[in-house]
Amino acid sequence: MNAVTDQITNESAAPAEAADQRRRVTIEPITRLEGHGRIEIFLNAGGDVEHAYLQIPELRGFEVFSLGRPAEDMPQITSRICGVCPTAHHMAATKALDDLYQVEPTPTARKIRELVYNAFILEDHALHVYVLGGPDFIVGPQAPAAERNLVGVIGKVGIEVGKRVIAMRRRVRELITYFGGKVIHPVMGLPGGVAKGLAPADLPRFKELAKDALDFAMFTNQVFHDLVLKNADYVKLIKADTYTHRTCYMGLVDPQNRLNFYDGQIRVVSPTGTEYARFPASRYRDFIAERTEPWSYMKFCYLRPLGWNGFSDGPQTSVYAVAPLARLNVADGMATPLAQQAYEEYVGTLGGKPVHHTLANHWARVVEMVQAAETMVALTDDPGLTGADIRLLPTKKPSIGVGVVEAPRGTLFHHYETDERGLITKANLIVATQNNAARIAMSVEKAAKGLISGHKVTEGLLNMVEMAFRAYDPCFGCATHTLPGHLPLRVRIHDSAGAVVREIVQE
Amino acid sequence: MTAACASVLVLGLGNDLLGDDAVGLHVAREVRSRLHGAAGCAVRETMEMGLALLDEIVGCEHLILVDAIETGKEPPGHVHEFDVDALVGRRITAPHFVGVAETLALGRTLGLAMPRDVRIFAVEVKDALTLGVTLTPEVQRAVNPAAGRIAAFARGLAGPGA
Repeated sequence: MNAVTDQITNESAAPAEAADQRRRVTIEPITRLEGHGRIEIFLNAGGDVEHAYLQIPELRGFEVFSLGRPAEDMPQITSRICGVCPTAHHMAATKALDDLYQVEPTPTARKIRELVYNAFILEDHALHVYVLGGPDFIVGPQAPAAERNLVGVIGKVGIEVGKRVIAMRRRVRELITYFGGKVIHPVMGLPGGVAKGLAPADLPRFKELAKDALDFAMFTNQVFHDLVLKNADYVKLIKADTYTHRTCYMGLVDPQNRLNFYDGQIRVVSPTGTEYARFPASRYRDFIAERTEPWSYMKFCYLRPLGWNGFSDGPQTSVYAVAPLARLNVADGMATPLAQQAYEEYVGTLGGKPVHHTLANHWARVVEMVQAAETMVALTDDPGLTGADIRLLPTKKPSIGVGVVEAPRGTLFHHYETDERGLITKANLIVATQNNAARIAMSVEKAAKGLISGHKVTEGLLNMVEMAFRAYDPCFGCATHTLPGHLPLRVRIHDSAGAVVREIVQE
Repeated sequence: MTAACASVLVLGLGNDLLGDDAVGLHVAREVRSRLHGAAGCAVRETMEMGLALLDEIVGCEHLILVDAIETGKEPPGHVHEFDVDALVGRRITAPHFVGVAETLALGRTLGLAMPRDVRIFAVEVKDALTLGVTLTPEVQRAVNPAAGRIAAFARGLAGPGA
């Protein structure tokens, strides 16, 4: 097992040394999370775009920090690393502990985890739809820059809706807090179960929350209809070739191949939509490899059995994407009825599956909100949710554990290896943005190619490339405490010798 | 929702696992010991950010934020001081983040009780990307002087008796 992991590391290390000749490269042995964003564009001798990518600085030292710590600490540690999706890390780590100790959570524990997880997905997606993607779609790509912000979104949808978004967010966080204490330091997941059950007396308020969540999700679906789909220009933009790539897709599905955020097998479909692979999390290394390029700091994931076929789309591609668009492409359908209706409309409007339009991620996110809310309703109606049996104690010796969930931004893997005492000897994460890195690079490159020719840079470059990567919702969360609180987007254009010939900064 | 509606709230921001990123938390703790319960002043720390800050700041009259900053223009440990207005007008470019200025603007738009003024003290970091629970020496040295300055500023806002 170790040999395979080592191989991933070594494959990455060799080209990194070449890159070092030109610029400082930070390649840590295993883990990379996300930080600031920067676009690097490399021109050829003719002044046309050769490569381009979104650079996200790495969070360093995760494995070193983890070594020797009790595996049970990982759900807390990993949820503290990232303030954007603490619940996703907490859950992936908890599932890795289940696997490490070879223990299945009790039925009640599983339901509690699923309730918390679906509530988290709903909240995080709502935040993106209204707050982060909203400026692009609810306010509109043609709106003046001064209006393309959160207050502009509220102006368009109304103050009451703004209040609703904030209130929903707060109530979901109360639910997460009920089971796990602080959102960023949750102490909910334990190998084989959860730390706290649901008292029957407290069920009614969560039932109420689930019902309101569903109203809210359906309302959001309507908002998307009214403001986006009724606008022919938006639909045209979604389908534009600039934002289209025929790649593979990856995501979790349940036994009936329906979309699942919390658990299931990983399914991969080809660019034509046929199933290419279906495997449990423990086999992720057989299917995912990482590659570095001499011109990039990033590692790009691709499908290992297919080999690296470049940043290309079409039948031969080994590039895959994760996140809402990918999940809707890998699933045969949604797991809940209203979400299924929304899904059918999505697929119908966009010309059938697989949907290759990156900007459709925004719509797919809304469809997923409906499933998350319906799942919350189903779970709070399930008498098993308030059971007392919330943990199965592990009895086996630990060695290797792999856990996977669908984070809001896509498939998230946690992999730990320990000694017999359960102390970490190896730790690896593959986060959603890493899975998406190659396709994001292709999107950035395509947008850049349309706007740079013969050394000439067309104005509007920043907006176009921003739209290209914003749809993926790449995670910059880990470093964003540092002021100014958002990260200025910086575009650097290099000539064929690698020298920076132009830098554009958007404050 | 956090209950205390002190007239002056000192709020330390940061991630306690990310090296220098935690400096705002360290400074806030020092400010607390210096203010030791001064009337009208509250000191809190949070690892949250963006919209989550709404819960923390609703109801306070004067807000003092203590955070890490990376400008690259000053040496590590330098303390930047500015009003939140300096951040207004910046739009979201990090896809999953809402800045402090925008969070305030949202709170006001929604009719929530937002602080009248916001002063930001931000310590220039050296390394906020490597996992660890200690500050680099340059940044560590800035903690006490920064805390003294902020405590004095908070007392000034809270008025006599603080």
